[in-house]
Amino acid sequence: MNKRVAIIAANGGLFDAYKVFNIATAAAATEAEVAIFFTFEGLNLIHKEAYKQLPLPEGKEQIQQGFAQANVPSIPELVSMAQEMGVKFIACQMTMDVMGLTKEHFVDGIDVGGAVTFLDFAKDADITLTF
Amino acid sequence: MKADLVVDAKGLACPMPIVRTKKGMDTLQSGQVLEIHVTDKGAKNDLSAWAKSAGHEMIDMAEEGDVLKFWIRKA
Repeated sequence: MNKRVAIIAANGGLFDAYKVFNIATAAAATEAEVAIFFTFEGLNLIHKEAYKQLPLPEGKEQIQQGFAQANVPSIPELVSMAQEMGVKFIACQMTMDVMGLTKEHFVDGIDVGGAVTFLDFAKDADITLTF
Repeated sequence: MKADLVVDAKGLACPMPIVRTKKGMDTLQSGQVLEIHVTDKGAKNDLSAWAKSAGHEMIDMAEEGDVLKFWIRKA
């Protein structure tokens, strides 16, 4: 049976996005079954508009250039790559209700679920990560 | 060394070399050899770990200037 990797994405900055999607795509490339639960600010990482310009930490704006020089893929590219490789995205229903967001605000192909949806996947996970 | 497929991942940063390697490997049959070219220094350990984890055999690696080359036989 394949390894299973369960990730919680709870923060919405550019660094957070790279941590989440690099680990997720690398895991998927290693034949793992991967699901990410996006909650609170983490929802920014799959928000159709917000994910195109995620903020850098204050005072670190100059690092933007470093990303370009290192030829790091953009977040939208990583998101579609992750999905293409079978990474499952679960958006937190409760946070969406609190923030007045609907499924249409997010990239295509996501699931919307509650904490139990994630826990059910995570209970048999070999690796669980929180970002 | 004769490879059945060559993947060029030069200039790409993590996790792209691994993603390209996986996609290349998916097109091969068991026993065939994939050759990968990268410039990402982290890929040296990453590709070894990836091959091990997927059960493939890392046959050889070489350094030519800035380019690292790997040969992996599909399990």
